[in-house]
Amino acid sequence: MQHAIEVRGLTKAFGNVRALDGVDLTAPAGSVLGVLGPNGAGKTTAVRVLSTLTVPDGGTARVLGLDVVAQAGEVRHRIGLTGQYAGLDHDLTGEQNLVLLARMLGASRAQAKARAAELLERFDLVHAASRAAGKYSGGMRRRLDLAASIVRRPEVLFLDEPTTGLDPKSRNGLWDVVRDLVAEGTTVLLTTQYLEEADQLADSIAVIDAGRVIASGAPTELKQMVGGLVLRMRPVRPEAMTQLADLANWTIGARAKLEEGEAIVPVAHAGEATAVMSRVTQAGIDLVSFGLDEPTLDEVFLTLTGHRAESATEEEVTA
Amino acid sequence: MTTTTWTTRRGTLAQSASMAARSLASIKNNPATLIEFFMIPLMILLSITFFMGGQMMGSWQDFLQYAGPTIIVMGLFFAIPSTGLSLFADLKSGVFDRLTAMPVSRFALLGGRVGADMVKHTWALLVVGGVAFAIGYRADGGVLGVLAAVGVVLLFMFSVSWSMVLVGLTAKTEDQIQTWMIALLMPLSYTSTAFIEVETLPGAIQWLAEINPLTALSETVRDLLNGDAPGGYFLALLGWCAGAVAVFVPLSLRAYRRKLTN
Repeated sequence: MQHAIEVRGLTKAFGNVRALDGVDLTAPAGSVLGVLGPNGAGKTTAVRVLSTLTVPDGGTARVLGLDVVAQAGEVRHRIGLTGQYAGLDHDLTGEQNLVLLARMLGASRAQAKARAAELLERFDLVHAASRAAGKYSGGMRRRLDLAASIVRRPEVLFLDEPTTGLDPKSRNGLWDVVRDLVAEGTTVLLTTQYLEEADQLADSIAVIDAGRVIASGAPTELKQMVGGLVLRMRPVRPEAMTQLADLANWTIGARAKLEEGEAIVPVAHAGEATAVMSRVTQAGIDLVSFGLDEPTLDEVFLTLTGHRAESATEEEVTA
Repeated sequence: MTTTTWTTRRGTLAQSASMAARSLASIKNNPATLIEFFMIPLMILLSITFFMGGQMMGSWQDFLQYAGPTIIVMGLFFAIPSTGLSLFADLKSGVFDRLTAMPVSRFALLGGRVGADMVKHTWALLVVGGVAFAIGYRADGGVLGVLAAVGVVLLFMFSVSWSMVLVGLTAKTEDQIQTWMIALLMPLSYTSTAFIEVETLPGAIQWLAEINPLTALSETVRDLLNGDAPGGYFLALLGWCAGAVAVFVPLSLRAYRRKLTN
């Protein structure tokens, strides 16, 4: 079967910075591919190459079987892009932004207006239709940006860090919109710094670091690699820290990390966390707080690479 | 959801028009900007006429009659860098990334900017020309002469705007564009016959003034407004315009493609 996205050995350097250093990616049609990595890992460069905005130095990138360099014109007819920075005209109203894009794509004035109205309705922006996009809140701007990338429904949609900087409510709303698009058959490639986001949306995840894919697989596979969840406990008395660590070791054989007044215990699943917590209660240790968290990107990186997910010293090159 | 595949592909000119309309839509949202477009040429006209005109020609009325039109032209000429500045801002805004990743003509993205600026220049020309008329300027060439003069001025503005498209595409900072403006526009204006006569200049600069495109423009505008048949300067002007378009349009498109490889 032909893949919607097929990238082989992609390289791109900006001066001395190897933004892409032999990247391979594959996404079957109708699937969601999550590209997970810290700032400067090469995510934006990969999206720019795939959306025909940057010409790679080497390797091949095909979208819907079309080469993004040799057949860039054809590719542009079939993709949508929501870049890291909103691709909107801030002086234009929400409606004007959408009408402009529809007109550029060949819609008549009436068709463009109708399509804009439809999208404003769908993305819950009707109330802000005649307000300048520059005055939108972060979440609204992201929604308008996403609407703008599907003015003519794309077969493949690229989303570059679609929820960075959004509050949890806006983020959840945006996730729902992405899920709807996928349900309608759109193939999505999204980049993110959040493991949770990739986990929520993606069928498969590629972890990228310093221009290379260092791990890939289904979200569950990846999380198994990393080791499931972490239980955080903050005792009232700091002296109880070692006691917490001993209890964790004794109950589930986990080795706790003691950090800034917190005992951090890796657990395979929620059941193990409950077991540890009941021991802690029995031992009469008072906690200020406790919580069960997904491993962060940092922890994924620590496991996969042995180093923390440091942002590259230079900002990811976006020019 | 209705189907959203429009089979029609719009031509480059139609796309340019949409882009131009986009740049002008912000005026509709914020009509006060209409004033900004004519403030500079208007102030240049009024201050030079009233403060310097009397000294240069005895009375400001005589000065207005002789130099009014060319001072307007010079004031408009100073608005040329706005094309570079606006394009520079466009390129940074992210909306151009989106448009570039769409099946949109490369020319339309640049031509739309020039087209929008031409509308602004036309508006400024109408307002400042109207003020000149109101304070007493009269053209011997009549309505036809005025229309012809407006036509040549706009042709010239269109052609030289493309040099600013190139500057906007290749500049690293806005300051660079400002610097270019001073470096290019000042000597061009002051060695032209916009408000001085060639004979008053030192020898070496006389030669510069003769080949200066602004001289060609100024003399052509004077001829047309005075009702005289345009002569050699008009041909020189057409040459300058054709040359600017032939050089700067391809260079701009190339610079735009270059931006893509990075």
